[in-house]
Amino acid sequence: MSAFSAAPPVDSALARRNPTVKLALLTIVSLVVMFVLDPVTPAVLYVLALGGVVASARLTPRSLALAHVPFVLFAVGVLTVNALTRPGEVLWQAGALRVTVEGLSVGGALAGRTLLIGVLAIGFLASTDGVALMTSLHHNARLGARVTYAVLAGYRMLQEMPREWATIRHAHAVRATFDGGRPPRGPRHLAGVAFALLVVSVRKGERMAQALESRGLGLEPRTTWRPVVVTRADRWFAAGVLAVVAAVIALSGALGYLEGPGALNG
Amino acid sequence: MNVTAATATTRRWAMKDLVLMVVLGVVFGFVYWALVQAWNGLSILMGPAGDLAQHVLLGGWLLVAPIAIAIIRRPGAGIAAEILASVVEVVFLGSPVGPMLVVAAAIQGIGSELPFALTRYKRYTWGVFALSGLLGAGLVFFFSAFRSGWYGQDIFALRLVVQCLSGIVLGGLLAKVVVDALARTGVVDNFAIDRETVRA
Repeated sequence: MSAFSAAPPVDSALARRNPTVKLALLTIVSLVVMFVLDPVTPAVLYVLALGGVVASARLTPRSLALAHVPFVLFAVGVLTVNALTRPGEVLWQAGALRVTVEGLSVGGALAGRTLLIGVLAIGFLASTDGVALMTSLHHNARLGARVTYAVLAGYRMLQEMPREWATIRHAHAVRATFDGGRPPRGPRHLAGVAFALLVVSVRKGERMAQALESRGLGLEPRTTWRPVVVTRADRWFAAGVLAVVAAVIALSGALGYLEGPGALNG
Repeated sequence: MNVTAATATTRRWAMKDLVLMVVLGVVFGFVYWALVQAWNGLSILMGPAGDLAQHVLLGGWLLVAPIAIAIIRRPGAGIAAEILASVVEVVFLGSPVGPMLVVAAAIQGIGSELPFALTRYKRYTWGVFALSGLLGAGLVFFFSAFRSGWYGQDIFALRLVVQCLSGIVLGGLLAKVVVDALARTGVVDNFAIDRETVRA
């Protein structure tokens, strides 16, 4: 799911698609829905995206549900705040609290958007290997070799980071046996651990840079092991996703549901 | 090092600086990810005012830019570090905000870098750091406000004030504290920060 599960993604229809194409589609859809502010359109897109991810990413229902938790919490928060703080036609009132039609509508739009981007991000992360993504960005998006290798080295560091974090915490906890016996907790302790992590990482980075340079990584031109290509299937995939998004927005507009940023000011 | 290599490194980024930026991006990407968990916790604690939690903590997301600039002292270092940290969050750790976070990060980076650029990357005082935090938080506010639909809400001004204060404290002054502490450990001795200090 993330860098913390170092296992490569399971083979699936979505995992076989080009990482750069997937990232570009995720970005385009996020950009487009930023300008959609009615509750219906994002909701329809979310249902379609959920179906697409379920059909193509081979996620277990449990992991799909678990990955949804932060998005759902965020969506509920956004819906509540908008329902309560947006002036307009009052639907319900109790003392200082009031819920407006406009608030519910805009809040619903933002909540639906959160869920849509969330489920697409789940599909992307579950089906994309970090190394394959960087290689693909180097090949297909012309990301420079120096930056590519520097980020790849950083990606390895990221994978080791939870372990590094635990090591530093344990090292700090050793002192606890001498003063009081309670393991250290609280923000002060965490800030100390975070700072130690930063210092260790900067030191490690300097050594890494030397290693990269001494191996001539970053010099051009170079050949590549296992090149990543954009296939015909990738083009059909991209065209399909964009066509569905365009069709949903056009249909929503034709049926009179679609609203733009104008909805924010009533 | 021969002459051609020396001129090449002044034009291009040294690998060391590039990797340091990535390291900062990764560490802060990781810390930001922890910050998101703190944000979730705080927003539950704050109950109905939970949506304001993001403004209270926003400055924390600005930290990496002034730190990178103060150590590397090259134009663009702050923007690049902020973007790298956001890419780590979005691509490797998974963020509920999605790829638009990278756009927000770029705007934050521009805001945070502006005061340093105006002093031609020569002054690293408390005031410049505070201004960096203020502009970083202030500039991105208007993008976030559009993205999250804050325009037209009753609490628009409150959001802006809380966010700017957070920027000054967490995204400006705290960065200065971290940079000074890093310099004291000696771990950045081989970077521009130390060459400048020696020369001054």
